[in-house]
Amino acid sequence: MKAFDRLRPAIVNGLRELQANKVRSLLSMSGIILGVASLVAMVTVVQGMVGNFRQFVDAMGGIEKITVDRQALPKDQEHLAELSEGITMRDVEQIRATIPLVRNISPEVRVGYEKVVFEGREAITLIMGCTPDYLPVAKRWVEPEQGRFISDLDILHRTDVVVLGSSIAADLFPPNVDPLGKVIRVKGKRFVVVGLLNNIEGAGVQIRSANAKGGGGMWRWRNSGVYIPVSTATAKFTGNDHLTGLGLRIGDAADLQNAVDQLERTLLQMHNGLKDFTISTNEETLESFKKTESAFKLSLGGVAAISLFIGGIGIMNVMLASINERIREIGVRKAVGARGSDLFLQFLAEAAVISVLGGVIGLSVSMGIVWVMNFILLQAIPTQAVATLDWKIMLQGLGFSVVVGLVAGVYPALRAANLDPIEALRHE
Amino acid sequence: MGSLVTIRGLRKAYRMGDETVHALDGVDLDFDRGEYVAILGPSGSGKSTLMHILGFMDQPTEGSIVFEGEEVSSLSADRRAWYRSNRVGFVFQSFNLLPRLTVLENVALPLLYRDESDPSANEAAAKHALERVGMSHRLDHRPSQLSGGERQRVAIARAIVGNPAIVFADEPTGNLDVKNVDRILDLLGSLLAEGITVVLVTHDLGVAAKARRVISMRAGKVMEDRRQ
Repeated sequence: MKAFDRLRPAIVNGLRELQANKVRSLLSMSGIILGVASLVAMVTVVQGMVGNFRQFVDAMGGIEKITVDRQALPKDQEHLAELSEGITMRDVEQIRATIPLVRNISPEVRVGYEKVVFEGREAITLIMGCTPDYLPVAKRWVEPEQGRFISDLDILHRTDVVVLGSSIAADLFPPNVDPLGKVIRVKGKRFVVVGLLNNIEGAGVQIRSANAKGGGGMWRWRNSGVYIPVSTATAKFTGNDHLTGLGLRIGDAADLQNAVDQLERTLLQMHNGLKDFTISTNEETLESFKKTESAFKLSLGGVAAISLFIGGIGIMNVMLASINERIREIGVRKAVGARGSDLFLQFLAEAAVISVLGGVIGLSVSMGIVWVMNFILLQAIPTQAVATLDWKIMLQGLGFSVVVGLVAGVYPALRAANLDPIEALRHE
Repeated sequence: MGSLVTIRGLRKAYRMGDETVHALDGVDLDFDRGEYVAILGPSGSGKSTLMHILGFMDQPTEGSIVFEGEEVSSLSADRRAWYRSNRVGFVFQSFNLLPRLTVLENVALPLLYRDESDPSANEAAAKHALERVGMSHRLDHRPSQLSGGERQRVAIARAIVGNPAIVFADEPTGNLDVKNVDRILDLLGSLLAEGITVVLVTHDLGVAAKARRVISMRAGKVMEDRRQ
């Protein structure tokens, strides 16, 4: 409270000086304004991009996803091909039984790109056999009003049901027709539509083609799948019990490498030592995104840091000039009883007032910059807003400006505090 | 009335380039409470240096000063600031009012730097001081809107706002016209009634004539100490 009693007149005084020297104060603030504005705008835009990266990795199944794919045998094992039956449901059972790190496992059969038909409308798309576990592994879902996904009973009874991706549903059915319960032909065979998969919308890494229509954008391929029970797929289409791949989800991304190692051992054992599969994760993608992110942060942060530094020099410069003009005032204040610390506080508060005001103006400028950048991006690529301002970042920006102002104010304030009152009073 | 300040063997030496200048060269003086003293002397006589040291703006090289019973010849900077804010007042030739502050704020300035500073009490004290100098009608004016005589009255109000024991007036009439000179000197003289010691520092014999005691200085020494 007592500290505030000393601070308040100092701040009031600072504001008054600011008002008395409007142009000079604005000029001295300009560095801080630009620094804060660029800092906040840059961080905001980088965060927007990073958000898109994460969304992309998420759409790929997230970092906790492991993919196992069928692969041709390496040359030195080709003569042993008969030893392994490939990836099958037996692998799935074995993984379920022996690797507790794996939370979900989704056996998948790619039937291939085939024709799907509904009342004369047709499309060619990827037909995939899968189980209920496909949803948690792929991070997909079926909205309650959009029916249901493939169930365990469907697997057991090899039912002829199909779940459609949103874009393929839009291609096959006129807008006024509800696809649920309709019978379509998949590769010539009759299937009942029981559900529609959620539509994936990417605010994405905006590489969206201009003529993309329907749901999707760059995620169109993710919205165009046709899903049938894996047992139906093997029985009706592929004719054997080979799976084309597995999707796995683990509980914790930290266990990723462990899980991959265990998975590889288990599969090699099941396949009698034959490496007829590959295991891949999204880690590399994420790593490269992270590298891009830190590169952006470093370079843009550097730019902002330099402008803040220059802003600090500007404030120091103006403070020194202002003190030179007010040597007599300092003498008078000392003569009537001001301590060195009182004057130190007064001039530090003046620097702080300049920097806080500069910071606030900088924040509003940054809002403008972000708005303009969003506007430009929206013109180029019609999608959702790219970046939104975060109050935490704005607070940080303001904090930076205050710190810069205080640091820049210390030297001038010390000079004012150490002036000799008699000399100061004699100053003309 | 008891002794307010007792000075013994006061010396002040400056180094100017290679030379050592003795601004004060062995000064012994006593000031009583409620005295009206003029210190007279040409420039370079040491009268300003004496005022600065007695006004807690400077420290002597050697010698003793007992102020209100306490030895004050070597105090810390903050302690001297306390004395300036609480026990002494200054009136300058060029007024030295702060141009951006109002009359009221200028007068309240010494109170701002006190430890137990309270804005409303400060304002009341400043108003009271301005009343005593007859400037209550100009509280919200800026110094630049006042005449020279008015400015000096405001400066006197600032000097007495903190109830000082002693007020130093350094050529207080040097920038004033004849009509205002008497008014300001009378105003300073009226402070005696409140027990304030007034020290006029001047080289003007006419101004010094108003005081009841005249101390003449030359070359850092007291030449004459005469009551009139």
